[in-house]
Amino acid sequence: MELRDAVNYRDPLDVLRRFIPTPHRAKYRIGPIEVVVETNDFGLLPSIPSQQGAGDPVEGTLEWKLVRDHDVDGGLDEPVFFTSGTLTVVRMGSACLLGLDHERRELLGFLGDSVDSRTFQDFLVPFLCGLSAEVVNGDMIAYFPELEDGSFDA
Amino acid sequence: MTLTFQFCPEALPFHTDFRVAGTQCHLSTNSHEILAVAARWRTATAHPAAHSFRMEILVDPALDSIADSRAHFRGLRHLVFASLPRNSFVVFDLVRRHVRGALSAHVASNDTFWNTLLLPITVGILGTTMGVAPLHCACLDRDGDALLVAGVSGAGKSTLAAALAHQGFALVSDDWTYVSQESQRLTAYGLSVPIKLLPDTARFFPKLLEFTPEAALNGELAYVMDARNSLGLAVRESSRPRWIFFLERTSAPGCQIRPSRPEFVRQFFERSAEKLPTELADAKASRSRLIQKLAECPSWIIRTGASPRVTAALVGRFLSEVQDGAA
Repeated sequence: MELRDAVNYRDPLDVLRRFIPTPHRAKYRIGPIEVVVETNDFGLLPSIPSQQGAGDPVEGTLEWKLVRDHDVDGGLDEPVFFTSGTLTVVRMGSACLLGLDHERRELLGFLGDSVDSRTFQDFLVPFLCGLSAEVVNGDMIAYFPELEDGSFDA
Repeated sequence: MTLTFQFCPEALPFHTDFRVAGTQCHLSTNSHEILAVAARWRTATAHPAAHSFRMEILVDPALDSIADSRAHFRGLRHLVFASLPRNSFVVFDLVRRHVRGALSAHVASNDTFWNTLLLPITVGILGTTMGVAPLHCACLDRDGDALLVAGVSGAGKSTLAAALAHQGFALVSDDWTYVSQESQRLTAYGLSVPIKLLPDTARFFPKLLEFTPEAALNGELAYVMDARNSLGLAVRESSRPRWIFFLERTSAPGCQIRPSRPEFVRQFFERSAEKLPTELADAKASRSRLIQKLAECPSWIIRTGASPRVTAALVGRFLSEVQDGAA
């Protein structure tokens, strides 16, 4: 795969940035759910203890494709949620665009530079797990106490 | 303030259908005002379009009170996110041909927003999934026959289109043309988007000096004009592609026209088309078939150092001779 620096990603035929290479890949177990994460930024691979739920049978698989978007300004805004039978979409300003396809079991998102590693790890990873749990009906939430006690509702 | 928009039948009580660029839009909304706007787009037609998509629009005045953001587009696989001024957010699902949007009350019933932003963007993003190929070229009509003017960015397509429209052609589009196949024939649509002319073209069209250039959606400074009402040009919604010109600018004086080849046409449009992900393989194949069919049109390369007015006059005469069988 050709690797190009996303900072300088300028393809006039890809104005939507669909084809930014995402060479970093990792597989996680969160409770009974297997999550495959694909990204262009090593820092967007979540830090989740590898032993979580390792002994349980896999009840579902999800794919997260997270693209670090160096071309957006601004921080995280108040969230706007779109919900429907097949999609959940969350926009927290241009720095955070997330779309979860329930049927295809894909979570696709762009995260701007303003989403630093701590915000990603402490805020977004539990949030993404919470979103994903709606799809797979698996108990991912138990692994994130902040979701269980209702303190995290974006 | 967290805003949640639930797209469910109970939240979308109003429904209507309309056609856009040869496709049928099934629109559902919570806004009676949008129905009134949509009524102005309805065209009398006996047959439904071959391809359709669903659009669900929720209007919430709460969006008017949050800070506006610039237009912003991103896409991954089959999903496309679009933030539009003012304070509106639209998501396109290209696999299911579904558009969902939350609009501020400010834009919801604004004709300009729908005609110059939301509908062209929708056809541009979703069109390939419905047999409509968005092609980067101008389109002009003469007696039901369309002349497509293609060329690299900056070649002067819009300027030549405006010059041709001053010489008897009707303007269909100056930038993006949406081509579909209906009943075995190609049709080119323009969506009546305003014509965009760069500031230096005012030396060719003095009337532009009465107006002020403004920043277009891509940030480029340009005269963004309603071709019919501001420039007095004839405008048509659609036409039948018949000829293709590839415009090349040169510093040498004069104007040369030489024949092109179908393979050149095909390669030009294939290479300038948006990349599509593997999830949209069928749409990509459909677009290629349309381009292949379009490449059967007679085509020429025009290299010009002459003014747009002189070039347009030459093109007009040349096509008349082609029709008379002399060229």
